[in-house]
Amino acid sequence: MAKMRDLDLEFSRRTMLAASAGGIVWTTLLARLFQLQVLEGDRYASLAAENRVKLELAPPRRGRILDRFGTPLGAHRRAGRVTLIGEQVEDVPATLRRIAELIDLPAERQERIVRDAVRQASFVPVIVAEELTYEDFARMTVHAVSLPGVQVEMASTRSYPRGRDFAHVLGYVARASERDLGRLTEGANPSETELIRRLFKHPDMRTGRLGIEYLAEEWLRGTVGRRRVVTNAAGRIIEELPSDDLAPQEGRDVSITIDAYLQRAAIERFGDESGAAVVIDIESGDILALVSTPTYDPNDFVNGISTADYNALRENDRSPLFHKAYDGLYPPGSTFKMVVAAAALATGAVSPERRVHCPGHYWFAGRKWHCWKRGGHGSVDMHNGIKGSCDAYFYEIARLTGVEEIAKMARQFGFGHRWDIGVTGGKAGVVPNDAWKREALGEQWYEGETLNFGIGQGYLNASPLQLALMTARIATEGRDIRPNLIGVGPRPPEADIAAANLDPEIMQRMKAGMFGVTSEPGGTARSSGDLGLGGPRLAGKTGTAQVRRITTEERNSGVRKGASLDRKLRDHALFVAYAPADDPKYAISVIVEHGEGGSRAAAPVARDILAYALRTDSRRTPSYAQTASRTDAPASTRGTP
Amino acid sequence: MSWSGEIRSAGTSRARRFGRQTNFDKLGRMPWGLVALIVGLAVFGTAMLYSSTATNPASADLPAKHFTRFLISFVLMIGLALTPITYWKRAAFPAYGGALLLLIAVEFFGVSGGGAERWLELGPVRLQPSEFMKLALVMAVAHYYQITLRDNSGGFLIHIPAVLMVLAPAALILRQPDLGTALTVVAAGLVIIYFAGLFWRLILLALVGGVVGAPFAYFYVLKDYQRARVETLWNPSADPLGAGYQSEQAKIAIGSGGWDGKGFTQGTQSQLDFIPEQHTDFIFTVMAEEFGFLGSASMLLVWATVIVWGFLIAMRCNSNFGRFAAVGAVATIAFYVAFNVGMVAGLLPVVGIPMPLISYGGTAMLTVMAAFGLILSVHLHRDVKAP
Repeated sequence: MAKMRDLDLEFSRRTMLAASAGGIVWTTLLARLFQLQVLEGDRYASLAAENRVKLELAPPRRGRILDRFGTPLGAHRRAGRVTLIGEQVEDVPATLRRIAELIDLPAERQERIVRDAVRQASFVPVIVAEELTYEDFARMTVHAVSLPGVQVEMASTRSYPRGRDFAHVLGYVARASERDLGRLTEGANPSETELIRRLFKHPDMRTGRLGIEYLAEEWLRGTVGRRRVVTNAAGRIIEELPSDDLAPQEGRDVSITIDAYLQRAAIERFGDESGAAVVIDIESGDILALVSTPTYDPNDFVNGISTADYNALRENDRSPLFHKAYDGLYPPGSTFKMVVAAAALATGAVSPERRVHCPGHYWFAGRKWHCWKRGGHGSVDMHNGIKGSCDAYFYEIARLTGVEEIAKMARQFGFGHRWDIGVTGGKAGVVPNDAWKREALGEQWYEGETLNFGIGQGYLNASPLQLALMTARIATEGRDIRPNLIGVGPRPPEADIAAANLDPEIMQRMKAGMFGVTSEPGGTARSSGDLGLGGPRLAGKTGTAQVRRITTEERNSGVRKGASLDRKLRDHALFVAYAPADDPKYAISVIVEHGEGGSRAAAPVARDILAYALRTDSRRTPSYAQTASRTDAPASTRGTP
Repeated sequence: MSWSGEIRSAGTSRARRFGRQTNFDKLGRMPWGLVALIVGLAVFGTAMLYSSTATNPASADLPAKHFTRFLISFVLMIGLALTPITYWKRAAFPAYGGALLLLIAVEFFGVSGGGAERWLELGPVRLQPSEFMKLALVMAVAHYYQITLRDNSGGFLIHIPAVLMVLAPAALILRQPDLGTALTVVAAGLVIIYFAGLFWRLILLALVGGVVGAPFAYFYVLKDYQRARVETLWNPSADPLGAGYQSEQAKIAIGSGGWDGKGFTQGTQSQLDFIPEQHTDFIFTVMAEEFGFLGSASMLLVWATVIVWGFLIAMRCNSNFGRFAAVGAVATIAFYVAFNVGMVAGLLPVVGIPMPLISYGGTAMLTVMAAFGLILSVHLHRDVKAP
């Protein structure tokens, strides 16, 4: 027992010793802190005050925008840049004159830089020249040493390698204006606001102004970082310190469903014509091409476009700035006839066999309503009515069906709804009915207007996107196809409308009619039915959108056509189609502005775009889906027996 | 029968004597003063994190995360405190063996991060076995002495297995390489061996060996970057923008705090992000800059109180296991604090040891709170007869 007591004693003794050791350690630490903070505190305080290490904002690299197969549409380009910091330059005009001896710097540009340097805070860099050639960059780098306050650096700027092809879809980025800053800082607390403002003053920073660049701004932007730099007394950076722990976080990439090569082919096919085309993969609803011509080069906007160039774009009578495929609204004309026929069958107003006699016109309410075919179609049933696009037939069945039922059916096809595809703009168009007219025009609906409605004219209008969607829904025999443009990125909210409820049997009749248009005697677009791929044909429907009313005198003296009419007054040519006719994969809508006849101007364009899509298999699995399916998606069993 | 199993307190109730106290009893006997100090430190730590991340919106959620982790760990700590000491003892060897196996697994399947292989990836969970080892080792060595000291055969030989128990995981951790954790593991283990009565002569011998072996270790064991850190300790101004940058800026931050500091969120060094890792290992600099010597000295005193309290709990415990486990757990925490302050104040090389409860970091928080749980459990079960 005595020995055990010893152990206990030993434990106490050792505790005392440990306590003393701990006491010594703690005293040492306290002494060290006392030395640093109290004895040498003043020295360190002055060291802190003149700390030459500064933190600069490091802007994040904006995420890229990729097409369906990973082709970069919005990317980065590194280019030389010259900046000048006002407070470090003694005589700004003199310095600029010296720079002008080295690189091209026009006098008016010099004046503007002087103005900018005065207006901005004197420590904010002013851009003197951007996009230097290699020679200029080398020359400036050599001479910058003798130009205090002038920095020559490599900068990363947004570039659009596919230039004009995607102007309307991608939009563009530009330097943030006061208005942009107001929007970007909305809802941010004061310290965040300050940070965002400082960040967007950085010469590398841009903000999205339109299209995907605008709507996916936050997704693409990334997170700002900092870099620690050592500056000399004049503020010039003399050394970079390790800053990996503060590095900016790159923005995320956005992938879209468009096939850049199909888009290119479609734009080329339009040539000088102005118009729009939309190609949809009818199985997934993926938009494979979203074309609006003529177009503009978004690269011009990244560093600021000149007023003269901008005005030229604005005043161009083919409106290159206007996104015709998504924002443009046109009367669908005869391409709408499938909707009218479907409404007539769905309500039981007529049977498919019911015949209407077309002598070239139709009498209603004591007025003569003309069919486009002056000699008339003779006796037509529904199939022939669609195939020959007989107006008289559709006057009759529209009148029997009634405006409300046609309007209801039009909504089933996606008309009258703004489909949000993640691009700025987008129009809902008008699906007229009695309530709409009372609201919009304060007037009741007249039955004569139903006749116009029946041939896709009058108040009705729709975007090319909606027409392509209608075609996709017909081609799939009534499936609830919804257009989709964003593959990876901030997806727009799911459209808040009821699923399409279309009768497959009726849709089969519509398809048969559309096949007749391109492939049977009497079809309005027979010459464009063959895709030129040694077999597959397309099925479609022609249309003409009236740009002005045809007056009675004109009709009496013979409708004037073509060259005798000012271009601006000529009708728009439309064509909607799907292909291959026997196993549909693609749906398309094409509008050629002032192209006159759907079969002559629009159908060949649609045919060639569809042929290209089929030949190159544009709808094959996108690359972003392949990488995703490897990690999370279970193997798809849909569609395999 | 050894003294460790005897019941010394005269005023104990029957229930306590036989270890059948209810959880309610235990909560009543919880050393709430100590718990309050722990909570106070964590709250203060959250405030310091807020200050250190105030200028960086990207990390604005760190303080809230930190406090949430603390709350979760706090529940864990109370749960562990109520766990009967016999359970701890029973878990000691399996925990040690498991942690050792995991460390070996890191050697083969470890995930690299920041130049070191410390993690095991199990699905979504990232394990850092060296953190488990800290507590497991303390428990295992304590259990070992509980067994061997029972029959009081206290010869020199009984310490050899204990030393091996300490050195095996330390060697594995050092290979990752994680010098900081290896040091704390070895230190805590040696403290227990010291309290278990290792001969003075041997301790002296070890000290001499350490002094002689240090240069050897410096040239042959340490990696280049570790050597660089030691070098900057002696001569930080030699390379103020490279390896010495962090130390130099940390000293400027601490020193410029002066007597009473620059005020909460007013530290120029801290607010401008001069110091890398200032929300993790270097958070003490933020506090020292913003609250001055008064603040940093108060913090050291609070920690001293916590540590002394822990040692008192160990001394009053009646079982060898409880006593040694508590000593080991307290020593672990004490080493954390001492190493961390020594490191940021430029007395020790930079070896990545966080300040318990204050530094941002999930695993360290969990380890420290579990250690507190063990200490509290020893307190609540101090009269339990030979667990």
